[in-house]
Amino acid sequence: MTTKNDRQIPPPGRDAEVAYGSNDIRLSGRQWLVVAAVAGVVLAALPTAWERIERIAPADDYRVPYPLSEDYWLFDRLCRRARRRGQVLVLGDSVVWGHYVTNDRTLPAALNARLGRQRFANLGVDGIHPAALTGLIEHYGRGADGAKVLLHANLLWMSSDRHDLRTRKAFAFNHPQLVPQFSPAIPCYRETVTNRLAIAIRRRSALHAWASHLRRAYFDGRDLPAWSLDHPYANPLGQIALVIPAGRAAAAPTDQAVAWTRRGIRPLNAPWVPLDLSFQWARFRRAVEVLRERGCELFVVVGPFNEPMLTGESLAAYRRLTGAAAAWLRARGVPCTVPRALPSEYYADASHPLADGYATLAERLLAEESFARFADVGPTEGAMP
Amino acid sequence: MLFHTWMFALFFLGVYPVYLAVRRTRLRAPWLLLASYVFYGAWNPLYLVLIVYATLVDYTAVRCMARTRRRFWRGLWLAVSVANSVALLSQFKYAGFVVGSLNDLLAAMGTGLSVPSPGVVWPVGFESMGNALAEHLNVYLAHLGIGYAIPRVGLLLPVGISFYTFQSMSYTIDFFRGRVEEEPNFIRFATFVSLFPQLVAGPIERARNLLPQLRTPRPIAFRDVTDGLSLFVVGLFKKVALADYLASYVDGVYGAPGRFGAPALILATLAFTWQIYFDFSGYTDMARGIGRMMGFRLMLNFNNPYLAMGLGDFWSRWHISLSTWFKDYVYIPLGGNRKGKARTYVNMFLTMVISGLWHGAAWTFVLWGVLHALGRMATRELEATSFYRDRVPRLVKQLGVFLFVAFAWIFFRAQSLDDALLIVSRIATAEWTDPALPLLAGGLVASIWAYQFVYESRVRRWLQWTPLRVALVVAMILYLAIVPGDEGQPFIYFQF
Repeated sequence: MTTKNDRQIPPPGRDAEVAYGSNDIRLSGRQWLVVAAVAGVVLAALPTAWERIERIAPADDYRVPYPLSEDYWLFDRLCRRARRRGQVLVLGDSVVWGHYVTNDRTLPAALNARLGRQRFANLGVDGIHPAALTGLIEHYGRGADGAKVLLHANLLWMSSDRHDLRTRKAFAFNHPQLVPQFSPAIPCYRETVTNRLAIAIRRRSALHAWASHLRRAYFDGRDLPAWSLDHPYANPLGQIALVIPAGRAAAAPTDQAVAWTRRGIRPLNAPWVPLDLSFQWARFRRAVEVLRERGCELFVVVGPFNEPMLTGESLAAYRRLTGAAAAWLRARGVPCTVPRALPSEYYADASHPLADGYATLAERLLAEESFARFADVGPTEGAMP
Repeated sequence: MLFHTWMFALFFLGVYPVYLAVRRTRLRAPWLLLASYVFYGAWNPLYLVLIVYATLVDYTAVRCMARTRRRFWRGLWLAVSVANSVALLSQFKYAGFVVGSLNDLLAAMGTGLSVPSPGVVWPVGFESMGNALAEHLNVYLAHLGIGYAIPRVGLLLPVGISFYTFQSMSYTIDFFRGRVEEEPNFIRFATFVSLFPQLVAGPIERARNLLPQLRTPRPIAFRDVTDGLSLFVVGLFKKVALADYLASYVDGVYGAPGRFGAPALILATLAFTWQIYFDFSGYTDMARGIGRMMGFRLMLNFNNPYLAMGLGDFWSRWHISLSTWFKDYVYIPLGGNRKGKARTYVNMFLTMVISGLWHGAAWTFVLWGVLHALGRMATRELEATSFYRDRVPRLVKQLGVFLFVAFAWIFFRAQSLDDALLIVSRIATAEWTDPALPLLAGGLVASIWAYQFVYESRVRRWLQWTPLRVALVVAMILYLAIVPGDEGQPFIYFQF
């Protein structure tokens, strides 16, 4: 039966050709192959070629400039450079980086000063925490493969649920791009699935890391369009100086680089998260495993912490924690040390030593046989001049 | 799920191979429907309730129409379908606007009366029920350690509602008019309403173009894949490299127009003129590219509109799927140009005002529609004169239309009518200060415009030179890979 509808139906759309577009950018398969080859070669070669063109400012006791703390491509490059030079890579957070001191007063600098040579490379990152440090090593730390690594464990990150990223209340923490995006879940980390996915994919791309490096090193950490809004008539190419400066200055203002007692900081009654429950410790353990899997020779320094700043009960819990951390490391054959607490006036806060503190710590570390053996330091090296 | 996100890339990489495998089987439509609902539900799973409801009503209406030959009953079912679509749009888009305008009027009349605010514009009960359900599910998601929470409903207009209701409405009207046959398969009809490449911002496809393609899949040639890829890359470049760039300048100026001088306001208006084109046509290019890779021919939606020589010409190049929709379902039913000049202009006026309201529930959009209606009438009169037709250079006509369209965009983009009027007055009276439009942005836009002029000129063959086309695509890919930041912006037309 034919209905009114059937009679008036136009021919099926499969044969009706629809206009392609309003431009002539329409490539064939072969042309796409050419595009893929050219773009692929350029994009793959750019980061490597860039490394040859761009210089790193020559400086003893070089450390990543504070504004480039999130320049993970630079971190990888510095790891490779240190390994090539046969240096011990010192990895850690702001304690290693030296938040309150200049680049020549940090722990690696103090070790170098006692040895009289650039044996230790400061690869600390100000503002990083164990969960992010692990991500940094996993995704941007291939340059450290097979190197000697001195890893610092700052137990401050287990001093409360918030530090440990266990709290359910969302808050903004540093380096979210480096923490696990899906598993293990971080309850205080709120991000859309789309963005988590984008982060997880981007951190597998050397090109993205390099492009991000350009933004951070030359365009105030912003992408070119955003930067050009503030510099509408500037030539973007003129911005690219092709030299990465050294992070000489401390991140903290100079008036804060004094003993904690003079800054009015009150004693700390930290609740401490037990190691078996601690997220940050779990991530630190993962960092140790990754480094060992990658053939690194590892030495871990646990602490020291500003123990006199802790109240009695908290101090006891802290000591139990350091003991358990050291036991875990030793059980896995990872050489480690838990240095004696430094004099309290050598600390600017709970965990950051001042220059004298770093010097003392360096002296004590070099005096340890296991550490000297790890760092290939001769019996007379490191002695007080 | 936005086309320019990794989320979509992974989604498509998952959907496409399966689609290729099942496209000649009965599973084709179910797979497409599932993918489309996942795509749409990614914004908020609760939105799916609405799209399924709209689909069911229109499907049922046509089923009922098909079972009767009596015009009265057919008309009644059409009325049910259209009324349902209009009610959905009214509830979500216009309730607040109508009540707000009514209260303004009552206040201006000094009556002391007011109509209660509809608040969030979800149907009664849906909001509280939806949010309770979302919260319940979120608890489970949190316990499972899944870093995703279903957003609360009621905060935003459901994405793409204006597009899919229009697409679905066109099916019922066309069936009533006998221009399309009934689609008995519900899954296939639901796929037509929700096909993911064009679901949230068009092109608004007609049943007579898309349904046959869903019934009988056309073979996918390798050329379809490369063409689709070409469309997608161009669209991605338009959106990420151009639209988002211009947006950051426009947002700054239009966010506080009182702080800027005349040059900045003029340049921001011109920048928005291009931003909205790049944003929307970029989306359409990507949608059409994805569709093409899947064997669908979606209609051309933009055809270099800023080269139009009259406003009629402009509307045959801008958002073609919407302007033809209004032509077919509003302008012509009103009488079109068949009932004399005066009636033609009234019909034109009404159509443009309704088109303005389709874009948003605010007086700025109404005014934008009015301006276009007046401009359309004026250029129609001009085009009737031999002087304008024959003596006015093509470039002058093009620039005239471009500047008029740019001027009208002020009302479209401004956050309020007061802002729009402030911008217009400041353009005429404010001091001339440094506009600080990045040269790079200006250069990019100028290059694209120049490309379009060449494309529509006698030397178009220059653009067909293979090394040039390959170089342009390489340049676009390198730019996209290196220059833009990590923060993608949503598409402007999603809010409509």
